[in-house]
Amino acid sequence: MVAKGDSVKLGQRIAASTDFSVAPIHSSVSGIVSDVMPWPDPRGNKVLSIVIDSDGRDEWVEGVEPNEQFLSERPSKLISTLRFAGITEAGMNGVPLHVNLTPPEQPKSYLFLVGIPVLKRVHTLLVNGVDAEPNVFVRRAVLHNFTRELILGIQVIRRITGVGKVVLALSEQEAYPSEVIDPLRKAGVGLFWASDKYPSALEPILVKQFTGEEIPLPGGNSRDVGVLVQDVVTLVNVVTAVRDGKPLVDKLVTVAGQGLSRPRNVRVRVGTSVKEMLAQMQIDSTNVHKVLLGGGMMGFAQYTLDVPITKEVYAVHLQGKDQVELFAPEPCFNCGECVSVCPVNLLPNELSKFCEFGRFDDAERNLISHCIECGLCAYVCPVKRPMVHFMRYGKSEIIARKVSV
Amino acid sequence: MTSKKYHMSMSPHMHRGVTLSVITSHILMALMLPAIAGVYYFGWCAVKIIVLCTAAAVASEAGMQRLMGKRIAVADGHALLTGLTLSLMLPPGVPWWIAVLGGVVAIVLGKQIFGGLGNAPFHPAVVGWVVLKVSYPGHMTSYMEPLTGGAAFTSVLAPAQLPLQIVREDLSELMLYPSWDLLMGLKAGGIGEVFVLGVILGGIFLIARRMIFWTIPVAVLVGAGGFSLLAAWVDPEVYSGPLFHLFNGGLMFAAVFLAADRGTAPVTPAGRILSGLTLGIITMIIRYWGGYAEGVYFAVLLTNALAPIFDRIRPTVYGRVKEVA
Repeated sequence: MVAKGDSVKLGQRIAASTDFSVAPIHSSVSGIVSDVMPWPDPRGNKVLSIVIDSDGRDEWVEGVEPNEQFLSERPSKLISTLRFAGITEAGMNGVPLHVNLTPPEQPKSYLFLVGIPVLKRVHTLLVNGVDAEPNVFVRRAVLHNFTRELILGIQVIRRITGVGKVVLALSEQEAYPSEVIDPLRKAGVGLFWASDKYPSALEPILVKQFTGEEIPLPGGNSRDVGVLVQDVVTLVNVVTAVRDGKPLVDKLVTVAGQGLSRPRNVRVRVGTSVKEMLAQMQIDSTNVHKVLLGGGMMGFAQYTLDVPITKEVYAVHLQGKDQVELFAPEPCFNCGECVSVCPVNLLPNELSKFCEFGRFDDAERNLISHCIECGLCAYVCPVKRPMVHFMRYGKSEIIARKVSV
Repeated sequence: MTSKKYHMSMSPHMHRGVTLSVITSHILMALMLPAIAGVYYFGWCAVKIIVLCTAAAVASEAGMQRLMGKRIAVADGHALLTGLTLSLMLPPGVPWWIAVLGGVVAIVLGKQIFGGLGNAPFHPAVVGWVVLKVSYPGHMTSYMEPLTGGAAFTSVLAPAQLPLQIVREDLSELMLYPSWDLLMGLKAGGIGEVFVLGVILGGIFLIARRMIFWTIPVAVLVGAGGFSLLAAWVDPEVYSGPLFHLFNGGLMFAAVFLAADRGTAPVTPAGRILSGLTLGIITMIIRYWGGYAEGVYFAVLLTNALAPIFDRIRPTVYGRVKEVA
């Protein structure tokens, strides 16, 4: 929607797709488009990106108006507001939020024909207030500082989906002050004390803890068991979009590791490069040997600091030389450690060997597709086998074979 | 663009820190108490066997790895552990070459022939012991009477028979063995087997540090104890009771250091319990009706062979879609 040389305003929509399940992109600064070119993304690919030189003035685009009556808007209006504000769900997959919301008067079957997925009905909204990975603190920070917005966000989602029950998952290891708990209780939000132990905050595990039911894997969704899971950060973004009329232009990110005395939460404009962010935070990156977007368990290693903080990124972890763990395909000796930690009850030892030696049919038969890639098997492996690597390799080989047949 | 290079890898980017050598060194630490007790009771004989057997195991590990063109991984401590474990299972009266042969057989036939660590289906130390037992039954019954107060270093040890053997022949001799003496190691037996209390403490240490899965040793003891309790209840005139059996021979040693071995034990939770129970029951069957007074190591070998079958009992995988007709 923009070309080189165009001037853009903060919050201006600069890219959009006709695909229902792709979120639009907004400029997070005001300035001049200096280039449209391939740029590294957090997944290690190069994707066509819009490079904008900021003029530092942060002029908002016209049409950004607060809407105080947002709670009485029609659900479908709210959904389209969220859609055009580019709100995405938590997690590195960055699924746009509107894809998983349908107003109570829907679903109507014809929607399926125009590419809008018909969703299963949900009875409960489960708000995830537990941080996904160790050393990530964004959800905690939102809980403590944006309680009011959080409650408004819950009300918005309630209005959109018509769910009766709202439950907030909190970490049982943490003490929350009454300023956080009381308003939530008053707003009719149930509390669920979830384990803080990784990977309990990952959606399939959290839903199992909460409902006792299992999401069908692979490719299942918590909606399959009647629960809609959204994290607290997304809900606060929802309020910014529907109340203030502002699209998603900044992100709360936990920065931790080498060069920091303790983890810090920072608010970063979407699209800022890691290099720029570290420079602004006055973090010396000379001793950094590994850069992770995401946390230490599920994050993606980066080959360059030019990679931008995209909407999916919730943490930047920096590792010094002695923090970098080296994994190598040493022979597995069947200690059984990975079996005892696997949250989805697989036999990672066996699966990793199947993948290592090309026995993909056996891997498939033993349900490798149910692996959620949490990384615990590699975390505990006494010979440091790159377990997640094997799993992803196996999965991609299995898919590739299916496609080629 | 910067030219600086960063580490690239798949997630995760963290590790618990419990590596193979950490596990091995914990087990070595747990073996110290029984080993020291063995040296205290059996003097220079024990020292000689422990040193020779361990050295032979480490040397043959290095030799085999060199021969097969592999990286020499003696530093992981597994050969050391195997050698030490085997030496503690041997009777204190065996000649020096038995100890050496045992160490070599354990590593070469028990471990490296299968492709090294992780590929050996049987516990290497048990392979060594069983080969020696079958090949040299005479030497392998050269048990000694333990001596206390440092006398073991100055005087000559007197040959003795295993209490298991004696009681097997004449049940009335059972009176000679109060449980406390058995627990403290005042009886004939393998070098590291005799001090049962030390073995138990070692096991508690390993379980507390989560280096072994507690279900296996407990299941072994429940299996053996339950079976002998049942047998003694059926006919106390014929069968000796559970305490005598748990505190004698290598049962406790096998429960802690062999059955719960990382690598040859089953990996599934149900499999571990089942293999432990099986091991305990087979041990008692051999002891009551089998050809040997001490059958625990044969039982270990058998359950090792059954481990892949026990591993077929899998936990239910998360998220299996229910078939919709």
